[in-house]
Amino acid sequence: MTTLNSTRFKPTWTSAGNSLLILMALSVFLPFLWLSLGSFKTGAQLNNPALLFFKPTLENWKEVLRSGVLESAYRSAIVGLVTVSLSVVIGSMGAYAISRYKTGGSSTRFGILAAQVLPPAVLVFPFLEVSYKFRLNDTLFAVIISHLSFVLPVITWFLIGFFDAAPKEVEEQALVDGLSRFQAFRKVVIPQVAPGIGAAAVFGFVLSWNDLFYALILAPGNSATLPVKIASFNTFRGVELGAMCAAILVAVIPVLIVSFFIQKRLVRGISGGAVKY
Amino acid sequence: MSFRLKLMLPLLAVFTASVGYPLLYAFYLSLTNYKITARYNTRLVGLKQYIATLQDPNYWNALQVTGTFVLLAVFIEFWLGLFIALALQKQKRIRNFTRSFLLTPMFVTPIAIGLLFRFLLHQQLGVIPTFLDKFGFSYDFFGPGKALYSIIFIDVWQWTPFMVLLLLAGLEGLSRSPFEAAKVDGASAFFTFRKITLPLLVPVISVAVLIRALDAMKVFEYVFAITRGGPAIQTMTIQYYTYQTGIQFYRLGLASAMSYLLLIIVMVIVVILFKRIESTRKNP
Repeated sequence: MTTLNSTRFKPTWTSAGNSLLILMALSVFLPFLWLSLGSFKTGAQLNNPALLFFKPTLENWKEVLRSGVLESAYRSAIVGLVTVSLSVVIGSMGAYAISRYKTGGSSTRFGILAAQVLPPAVLVFPFLEVSYKFRLNDTLFAVIISHLSFVLPVITWFLIGFFDAAPKEVEEQALVDGLSRFQAFRKVVIPQVAPGIGAAAVFGFVLSWNDLFYALILAPGNSATLPVKIASFNTFRGVELGAMCAAILVAVIPVLIVSFFIQKRLVRGISGGAVKY
Repeated sequence: MSFRLKLMLPLLAVFTASVGYPLLYAFYLSLTNYKITARYNTRLVGLKQYIATLQDPNYWNALQVTGTFVLLAVFIEFWLGLFIALALQKQKRIRNFTRSFLLTPMFVTPIAIGLLFRFLLHQQLGVIPTFLDKFGFSYDFFGPGKALYSIIFIDVWQWTPFMVLLLLAGLEGLSRSPFEAAKVDGASAFFTFRKITLPLLVPVISVAVLIRALDAMKVFEYVFAITRGGPAIQTMTIQYYTYQTGIQFYRLGLASAMSYLLLIIVMVIVVILFKRIESTRKNP
């Protein structure tokens, strides 16, 4: 009786689940499809959103190259790389101290967690004020400092979890073998968590790459990062609409490629052990 | 200097510079009448900005809008995310690709998503209204009484994947034995879901909902890209209102007081929920 029941119910549940997945996949796919089509449409063709087959134009992509989107992508990349490099070096040292030596007890851990939930509106005005004072407004320097305020805590938080999970024996052996503690940290511990550091670094980079709020306030002009630049395409005039599609794709494509490779490790990092019971 | 202090020092220094110092500076700013246009007249005014904030009906409106946004968005994201996670867990073929593909929206810069949907849902040019038009429906997605729900829909589109990511990890971490026992006892799929899956998943659910809710409170990009707070002030979220006060109206003192009050609210929520999560962790 029981087996009968479960065989009768199972196919319906599974097919309901699969239909849901297909529906969701479509709802993810269609907007991106529209975006890609739109980037090859002329202004007149864009006025007809249902148009699927048309003669593609490269005008939008040329317009994007002219308008400095690539330059702002380059600036975003610099901000992301500098922020992440600093965060990984500083964060891995700190995270190791917190994980192995319980530095500062649970209050350090809570502090790092709390820093991630700070509303950006609290920190942004002091950043603006200080960068005015030192004439650093509209420079990448100000943006990098502000991005450190959320990338550094996230990366440190990820790494604490990875160090917690790494076995202690290997590094104890290294100390017995005559390495100094810093050598043991650099040559034995770091390689053990290297994949985790990689995932944390990529995630931190995506966070920095995607930020609009800080960059918009601190560097709205000549040092505009990619999200700020994209926001400037916010218009309904035909030509710029196609260019907007192309500009959005410039921001989206690298992140999508990268995201495919880190998703598995991301879960452990984000949940910080909370998922593991 | 001890080894662990040497390791900690750079972190402490950068943390102080990029979080600690701005946090204190923001508090100082919130006690002044600082305006960007009148910066040489700055003086301490005590709690005046806080009182002004609390008496500002627009601030309360912003809190209400943000509250509605967070509650509705996170509620939908949770249930939708849970069902997607269950479906993904049961899925047999092309598992890895489906997972990676469904998670993509959460990696895209929110301003791009905002602009994308602004156009997709635009009344004259958008695909979706054009499509609805053919069936005789007319719906203005960003009209009065509707704009907030459209913003919520965009948030759901972008951030349900985040819920899926965490819930799926939680589901796959559950021990199999209670499910096998339920199967032996002939429990229905619904019964198993309600009495076994959900209770076992509570710790993961609370973490996922907490993280997502705190992040949703920061909503800014969709409003900035699409409605700028309108129609009237129906989509004026707290982050956008603070931005407007500080950057467009130059009142940094007042804006700092607004953001500090928000910070207090956020911290109270975090501490309460954190203690709850800790206690469920200790006695499951």
